[in-house]
Amino acid sequence: MNTRRLKDVLSSRLMLAAAVFACLLLFFMVAGLFFRASPILLTVPISDLLFSIEWSPFEGKFGFYPFIMGTLWVTVLATVIAIPVSLLSSIYLSEYASNGLREMVMPLVDLLAGIPSVVYGLFGVLAVVPFINDTLAPAMGAETIGGYSILAGGIVLSIMVFPIIISVTGEVMRSVSGELREVSLSLGATKWQTIKHVVLRKARPGIIAAIVLGFSRAFGETMAVLMVVGNVAKVPSSIFDPAYPLPALIANTYGEMMSIDLYDSAILLAALILLLVVLICNVIARMILVRIERGII
Amino acid sequence: MTETQISIQNLNVTYNGNRALKNISVEIPKKQITAIIGPSGCGKSTMLKCMNRLIDMTDNVTFSGKIIIDNEDVFDKKTDIINIRKKLGLLAQKPTPLPMSIYENVAFGPRIHGVKKKPVLDETVQRCLTITGLWEEVKDRLNSPASQLSIGQQQRLCLARGLAVEPEIILCDEPTSALDPVSSQHIEQQLLKLKKDYTIVIVTHNIHQAMRLADYVIHLYLGELVEHGPANDVFENPKEERTRAYINGTMLSDLKIDKEVDLKGNICPYNFVLAKQALHELSKGNVLKLVVDDPLAVTEVPRGMEADGHKIMSVKQINKTDWEIVIQKKE
Repeated sequence: MNTRRLKDVLSSRLMLAAAVFACLLLFFMVAGLFFRASPILLTVPISDLLFSIEWSPFEGKFGFYPFIMGTLWVTVLATVIAIPVSLLSSIYLSEYASNGLREMVMPLVDLLAGIPSVVYGLFGVLAVVPFINDTLAPAMGAETIGGYSILAGGIVLSIMVFPIIISVTGEVMRSVSGELREVSLSLGATKWQTIKHVVLRKARPGIIAAIVLGFSRAFGETMAVLMVVGNVAKVPSSIFDPAYPLPALIANTYGEMMSIDLYDSAILLAALILLLVVLICNVIARMILVRIERGII
Repeated sequence: MTETQISIQNLNVTYNGNRALKNISVEIPKKQITAIIGPSGCGKSTMLKCMNRLIDMTDNVTFSGKIIIDNEDVFDKKTDIINIRKKLGLLAQKPTPLPMSIYENVAFGPRIHGVKKKPVLDETVQRCLTITGLWEEVKDRLNSPASQLSIGQQQRLCLARGLAVEPEIILCDEPTSALDPVSSQHIEQQLLKLKKDYTIVIVTHNIHQAMRLADYVIHLYLGELVEHGPANDVFENPKEERTRAYINGTMLSDLKIDKEVDLKGNICPYNFVLAKQALHELSKGNVLKLVVDDPLAVTEVPRGMEADGHKIMSVKQINKTDWEIVIQKKE
């Protein structure tokens, strides 16, 4: 065999290996996390792990409930803040704005997605936390721990979620055919009636997918949240309470109290839960978007 | 002549600097079927879109002139465009049901104009579906999605949906080009029935359809108004040679091409010269097909050839950049 052919065969094999490796990585991560988390899954019943509020690793009590609730509060709040703002702005950008304006603004929105999360965290500590502490909480008559709260986390996270929801919903709305708009307009509908009853209706599955994608982004975000949310392992009861989301728990404590029995296993279980939730959300959203692209929905 | 429904005066439309319609002035008679005929890209659809101002949706377009409907100028800034559009039903080329149920599709129009009472809506839905002959077929599944209907049924649903807002005029943009022959016939029959109550303007490049339906004909060619008049006059005895060529050209179903010349990449006047040479080599009566991609050639070559006494049989756009010009040698 001459060298030319050898090179051809080798290069194709090499690329195949790289592609397989990249795909298997996810599988190995899930399997690895599951393997390392299995000791705690075998000793503590799963219901205790998920629903017990007691987190005292020294006594062998690993209740993830406060962390799960912390994550959910922050994530849901962020999504709730992000939905109206990003939906309205993407409706404006895709339906009302001129092409020139849209081409100018969309890259800026995408840039928002590229800002390192620690910068968002700093912005949160320097602007959002003091604002809540000095202005918002007193005005609402609520108590906070120096402004570090679910609300601060939610606000910072929502800004991080904007670009995802704006760009995905924008794309879905622009994929609604012009003919459909023409039909509605020709029946005498106003632009807003057309958007509300026809465009948004047609784009609904895509908008849901965009929100799910945003939700999963917020669910796994660590750094920015960890910096502003207070990190207190207690089930929150108001948005002015501090919380301790799962990613923050992992980032803060992994590698520190490793001498405690099962601690390593518990933290890896947290990572597994996080990974699975984000994975499932992403798969659902992608499936919806692929179906829209193929014209099934 | 009968009463005028739509009066178009000095209509000019320019897309990205290309003139799509040039100084069109024509009157469309009331309660008749007016067919706008002409090859693809001659501005037929643009003319319809001007009437209901859907032209606003297009970027980089400028228009001037007047379109008077019921003493109101459609282009006047003070005119309430919602009201105008309500008067003009649209039947699009592709059946486009709204993403909702059959019932809601028909009720959509009345609803957005403020009709809320269920019995009124029910009555409207039944009446409009009956007019279009769809009621018997769908009365048991009014709440199923409109997208489940066949393409032909969808188009009749679209017609019913347009009728539900009680327009005076129905604009049809090649309404049967996406349909099978049976469904097309169905739609044509509906239109013939509807002309007793409505003014119908139909854009079509199917000359047979125009002959079957039209009472009045407008022939556009590359943005110019070539000829207009009662259908019988235009079809039997066209005043303009280009109308005769268009009618004959599209009637010849299997056009025998004697020579084909690809002039892509050539600019004016070279493509004209080359075309002339090619034609010179042919004998009288032979047919030459040219493929050009120079926008200027699309208008200038046929015009020049016509001036030389040759017969232009058809000009049509075959893809995004290319046009096909078929010429029969006369002299």
